[in-house]
Amino acid sequence: MSRSDGRRERGRRGRRFAPAAPAVILAAALAAAAAGQTARPSAPIPDPGFAPGWAASGPPRTFTGQDLFNQIDGGAELFLEFGFFRLRLQAYAKGGAELTLNAYEMESAQAALGVYLMKKGRETPFPEIAARNSSEEVQATVLKGRYFIQVDNLGEVPASKAELAALANMFLAGVADEPAPSPLDLLPAAGRVAGSERLIRGPFGLQPYITLGEGDILSLGGRVFGALAEYRVPGGVAFTRLIVPYPGPEAAAAALARLRAGLDPYLKVTAERPEGFDFIDFQARKGSVALSGPNLDLRFNVTD
Amino acid sequence: MKRQPYRSMPPENAVGRRDFLKAGGAIGAGLVLTGRSLLAAQQAQGQQPPAKPAGPPPKPKTNIEDALKVPKTKWSLPGPFPGRVVEVHDPAAMPEGKVDAAVVKAMFEKGIRGLTGKSLEKSFGLFFTKSDVVGLKVNPVGPGLISTRLELVDAVIDWLTSCGLPRRNVIIWDRFDYMLKDAGFTPERYPGVGIEGLQTMDEAAAIAASEGKAADNSKWLNADGTHVSVPNFDQEVFYWADVEGPKDLPYLNQHVFNGKFSYFGKLLTKKLTKIVNLPVFKNTGNAISMATKNIGYGAVCNTNRLHQPLFLDVCVEVPAFWPVRDKMVLNVTDGLRSQYDGGPDKNAKFAYIDNRLYFASDPFALDMVCHTRIVAKRKEMGVAVNENPRFTNYLRYAETLGLGVADPAKIAHVKV
Repeated sequence: MSRSDGRRERGRRGRRFAPAAPAVILAAALAAAAAGQTARPSAPIPDPGFAPGWAASGPPRTFTGQDLFNQIDGGAELFLEFGFFRLRLQAYAKGGAELTLNAYEMESAQAALGVYLMKKGRETPFPEIAARNSSEEVQATVLKGRYFIQVDNLGEVPASKAELAALANMFLAGVADEPAPSPLDLLPAAGRVAGSERLIRGPFGLQPYITLGEGDILSLGGRVFGALAEYRVPGGVAFTRLIVPYPGPEAAAAALARLRAGLDPYLKVTAERPEGFDFIDFQARKGSVALSGPNLDLRFNVTD
Repeated sequence: MKRQPYRSMPPENAVGRRDFLKAGGAIGAGLVLTGRSLLAAQQAQGQQPPAKPAGPPPKPKTNIEDALKVPKTKWSLPGPFPGRVVEVHDPAAMPEGKVDAAVVKAMFEKGIRGLTGKSLEKSFGLFFTKSDVVGLKVNPVGPGLISTRLELVDAVIDWLTSCGLPRRNVIIWDRFDYMLKDAGFTPERYPGVGIEGLQTMDEAAAIAASEGKAADNSKWLNADGTHVSVPNFDQEVFYWADVEGPKDLPYLNQHVFNGKFSYFGKLLTKKLTKIVNLPVFKNTGNAISMATKNIGYGAVCNTNRLHQPLFLDVCVEVPAFWPVRDKMVLNVTDGLRSQYDGGPDKNAKFAYIDNRLYFASDPFALDMVCHTRIVAKRKEMGVAVNENPRFTNYLRYAETLGLGVADPAKIAHVKV
């Protein structure tokens, strides 16, 4: 089976789930991205001419799909969950300096955004890099289109910031800008902690925040992106909020039922309602789940 | 010994690699699917995801009982200092991000003395004899940032050889030969010391396969379809789990075997008489990837199949087998530069110079201390952390097996 077969599978999926307005937009974007990916060539790996004196160090390496485990055994799950297509690596050397380009090609711009938000930490951009980035002297973390990129600067002698940026920019020049429609706009602005926004597409992304149950407990199914952020509101209350837009009210209701039935045993339900329930976790922090049209609105890790 | 029904951390992803490959087999040989693609494949076949969760999937059966049947020895885990963890901190260890080898050596020696309460020479005698063949299990992932520091390895070798162990009786090892080289563990850097990967992996063939090109598998695949590294593994000593390894060639290239058996390297079963475990302080998702994961996933082959259904259990059950349990006498976690998120691969955004080393004969107590520390660090840095007990239950499982101490109330965390 060729890679293009894989693209077609994703396109088919995108067309299948698109009844509700937000989901229509998301699914259409996903399908378009997937279809476009089939036709559009991958961004070229830069030749060593990005800066004087540099030479390629070893052959390029490529990891496709599940082969990502070969590169980051134990760390591939998050990429795969968000929708990973291919990782290409190329190392460059100049004397004792070494730069390594890690170009993760995701299945969509939204998938790339999801990974970037998880990996960016406190966002510290290098203005020299011509795309959204969060960078340190030893590693630049960059987002553009459907690419999540890291440039490692870990040689015995550090490359200059200008050289690091030059490599990143040469690669970025071949990357098409793509919109990354996402449900982040569903998150109310009031009280939202800047920089805490995340996309959730499955259990690995959710893992650091809460364990709601086994497996795909939110019925995301690899199709639905949820939006998560931390909140601090007047009075000192802090909580994490996750809003998941399903294809429609029925899907959301089914997801609620599934969540309730499979709720993690460390969460104790304290109140039941037709449209949701309240709970406390093992640390006695409060939480709630509420059905709102096609959305599930979850609040947890509530601290007063 | 009574064992409670247990699972440390149930899989949180409903679709595992095994499932990917099963689905691949159903709709086309050689198909490699992502989770999303699997869903699409199910839909293409008229299947829908289950409407309700089926409840926690049962933990796959393993042969842990076989491990427990083997009588312990005087060297068995948790070693002479169950529950004792010594932390050494010296802010001068990594000035400007570069290791000061002399400071690290002094930290190492301080840590050994702090752990045993004895001199370096007498400490040597608690763990080794002069005829031992000692394997240093390093972690070469993330070279240049968070792999085991070469200077720490130097300090261990200096200690061992100064106490009479021949240099040729020291072997630096890991699963993969090429990773050791990438991380700087070369014969030129360590003359007279053995450097061994349990297996090789032909990256060029892996690359060709992943690009859909005809791969030249001749460097790793024998004519009879077996991996050239098969002789490196002891088929008499294995961790068995009721989980099939994928049958594709790239998996075989990386994992040597692909059935339900994870064989121990012959290096462990035939050659090494002692092991010093030198992991790095880092996370894997919401859990940690330190002492028990470094050895649990480093001592055997065919491990990717285990990540999904048995993830942290492997960190207990593999070390429960005699080649680790009765040989791994010392653990030193390298926290000179640590990483609190983005692991297990390197991620500079979350790596920080911490100038610490942690010492223990008991790897489970050590991991509990380090887990607690990483949780605190994540909170300090404003990174989400899920303190659900499922992420440390595997350490308590180890305690029920008599392999270590996990109860914080019983752990002596000593800072020197």
